[in-house]
Amino acid sequence: MTVMARPWRRLSPTGRIVVPLLVLLVLLGLLGFVGLVTGLIPGLVDLVIRLAQANVGIVRFVIAVTAILLISIPIAFINGYAELKVIALMQSRIGPNRVGPFGTLQAVFHGFKMLAKEDFTPLGADRPAFTLAPVVVFLTVVLSFLVIPFAPGLFGADLNVGLLYFFAVGGLSVVGLLMAGWSSFNKYSLLGGLRSAAQIVSYEIPLTLSVVGTMSLNGIVEAQGGQFWHWYVFQQPLGFAIFFIAVSAEANRTPFDLTEADSEIVAGYMTEYSGMRFGFFYFAEYVSLFVISALTAVLFLGGWHAPVEIHAVAAFFGLTVPAVSLDPGQLGVGLLLLLTLGPLVGTLVFTVPVALWRTDWSIWRALLVGFLLFNVAVGALITIYAYVASEVVAGVFWFLAKTFTLVLVFIWIRTTLPRVRVDQLMAFAWKWLLPAALLNIFVTAAAIVVLR
Amino acid sequence: MTQTYSKDDPTLLVDSPAAIIDAIPPYPPRSEREAEFYAVRDGEMLINLGPQHPSTHGVLRVVLKIEGEKIIDLDPVLGYLHRGVEKLCENADYHQAICYTDPLEYISSLFMELAPVMAFEKLLDLEAPRRAQYIRVLTCELNRVASHALFMGWLALDLGGLTPLLYAFVERDEIVEMLAAQTGQRMLFNYFRIGGVNGDLNHDFMSRLGDWMSRALKQVEANQRLLNENEIFLKRTKGLGVVDRGTALRLGMTGPSLRASGVPYDVRRAHPYLVYPELAFDVPTREEGDTYARYLIRLDEIKQSIHMIDQCLHKMPDGPVMAKIPRLIRPRPGRAFAAIESPRGQYACYAISDGTDQPFRMHLHDPSFVNLQAMGVVLPGNLIADTMAIMASLDPIMGGVDK
Repeated sequence: MTVMARPWRRLSPTGRIVVPLLVLLVLLGLLGFVGLVTGLIPGLVDLVIRLAQANVGIVRFVIAVTAILLISIPIAFINGYAELKVIALMQSRIGPNRVGPFGTLQAVFHGFKMLAKEDFTPLGADRPAFTLAPVVVFLTVVLSFLVIPFAPGLFGADLNVGLLYFFAVGGLSVVGLLMAGWSSFNKYSLLGGLRSAAQIVSYEIPLTLSVVGTMSLNGIVEAQGGQFWHWYVFQQPLGFAIFFIAVSAEANRTPFDLTEADSEIVAGYMTEYSGMRFGFFYFAEYVSLFVISALTAVLFLGGWHAPVEIHAVAAFFGLTVPAVSLDPGQLGVGLLLLLTLGPLVGTLVFTVPVALWRTDWSIWRALLVGFLLFNVAVGALITIYAYVASEVVAGVFWFLAKTFTLVLVFIWIRTTLPRVRVDQLMAFAWKWLLPAALLNIFVTAAAIVVLR
Repeated sequence: MTQTYSKDDPTLLVDSPAAIIDAIPPYPPRSEREAEFYAVRDGEMLINLGPQHPSTHGVLRVVLKIEGEKIIDLDPVLGYLHRGVEKLCENADYHQAICYTDPLEYISSLFMELAPVMAFEKLLDLEAPRRAQYIRVLTCELNRVASHALFMGWLALDLGGLTPLLYAFVERDEIVEMLAAQTGQRMLFNYFRIGGVNGDLNHDFMSRLGDWMSRALKQVEANQRLLNENEIFLKRTKGLGVVDRGTALRLGMTGPSLRASGVPYDVRRAHPYLVYPELAFDVPTREEGDTYARYLIRLDEIKQSIHMIDQCLHKMPDGPVMAKIPRLIRPRPGRAFAAIESPRGQYACYAISDGTDQPFRMHLHDPSFVNLQAMGVVLPGNLIADTMAIMASLDPIMGGVDK
């Protein structure tokens, strides 16, 4: 290790993140190569596919949970970075711009920093509860991920009580927050924990009442198929408003972030946490930001459906959209030719204009830029092909687009609004949201009866 | 005879970590009031707000007695920032004393030097040239705008809004940079001298000022729209922390906090100094006396200040900026009192000279300290979350409170 110490010290903070990642990438590449040559990886993939096709519950569950745990990491990083950068831009600041291009690795850096900090337990804290609280909070968020449908066929579990499951698991997070608040042996933490208990339990009721009906999230998305005016946000605007307010209270987002109100109770239930335990709370917060946005997109914005159904529009004008069916296998030997000659020709095609445009550059630099441009172009082509050819890719695209738009809306709200007071919060839940939700149910039910 | 403590003293035995951390009350209680305050009944809890707390505007410590989230009683503990400024001034000569008063209210330090300078001028029985007086008014009003702009940001931040603070800082930064171009410092300007100011207005300052004046009013109003039309902000500040007229007068409050309670007392109007009699300005008052009124008063004062800066620029005469004063200042024995209207209220300096080159006694009357007393009247019965809003609306600067 002493051999490595000197070069390691010389690396910039960015380098200290990038170099280990590169090493990891190279190792994974080597492993993949070995696996492919020995036939291990195809065999494994085959096994997984067969198991998944056999639809064994436990296998699907394990795969889904692994996938969800894995994707929750980049999602937290993206949300963390978006929050830093978007808030900065809205406040006429620059925001993170040091670590990585445009500061994109800032959130990763924060993660590494958390790992390096001391994991401190205060004197007099209730150790088991104090240690378990971040885990409970994180787990509830990740578990509620399980029922969210990303695209047709791409979901963890299609429970017929999916929505109920979501609310139940989401409501469990209050247990984690109370554990954190109580076990920290700090009065500010205690106040934060109690606030969160009162808040989440109160907002659970209008939240659930605003979306009574089918409980299967897949069913809900499928019912919103068609054009964008079939989305529930246009059929149930009041329900959407109630849901949006209640869900932002449920996830402790501003203006309902009383549990961690920094100007009142320091950091609420997180006051005594440090190191990675504190990191887990933050992690959970960012993932839950994604989860609530995803749920809103699923329930009210049509989930994976595109805003405009292109086939229906084409049929309206008497046209048909040709189905794309390009199987690379059809090309035969041509595929080999394409793979060998394509990059060379493509790179040259992009290099020539670059070299003509920037005559002062050396030819190697122009070649490098041409190669990068070629990669971008191919990536774009593959994406477009995948979007057109695969329903799943198109679904994931629209789902993520809607979800991240909502994430931006939540961040926008956070920048704009001050925090409400605790009594105003409770009064709002019981005196306005609950009656409005009940009224919404009544009116909707009456409308259905009349229309039938 | 002093009592000696030993580690084996059974009264000092601590059997659980809770006992160490819960030991807030001074032991034994120093007064009856303290004994009563720290006797915690069932369902009540003591909570330590500060001195290290994100929103106590410095190192103010308030021990709150709460029942749930409701405040029943409070015990402010001052002195965490006490530097003994008055005593330091007594051991410095008259020029040096001004530097010590500078960082009292570090947000509006021009005012902090203005009152001692005026008191010393009264001791010396001299008057600054008219151009110097205009420059003083001009720079002070600029500083008032910076201070009030920052107040808005802080109030919003204590209510949980993140963005207004940044907009306030943009505003303040322009003014502070402008003053730095004139005085050479961004925060502790140390610009006023006995008998005038240190240097005439320079080109850099004037060009920045002209640039800023062309859009100041519009910019200030645009920034305030984020709060003034915000339903949550209105709900949280209207009718909160009402200090009625009588209470405000009995407490001796001054400045915007007093004028928000309906008393049109402004030192600039009641006891005019410098060239204020020559300037046209209103003294905005409001009747409500709540947090929102205290916020709006400052908004109006910013507009008045910009108006006054405009007049100063138009009326400023030519001439010297320093009076002829001896190098070593030795006023005749006597007393002098000078009061000014700082952004927080009446700031005054009472200086006694014994004929040497150092002030014999210098007392500084700070508005933050007086206004902060209103906290004890207003806070009980409110929620913890409102503590911050009320405290921010009284706008204390702990540097001035603790001196």
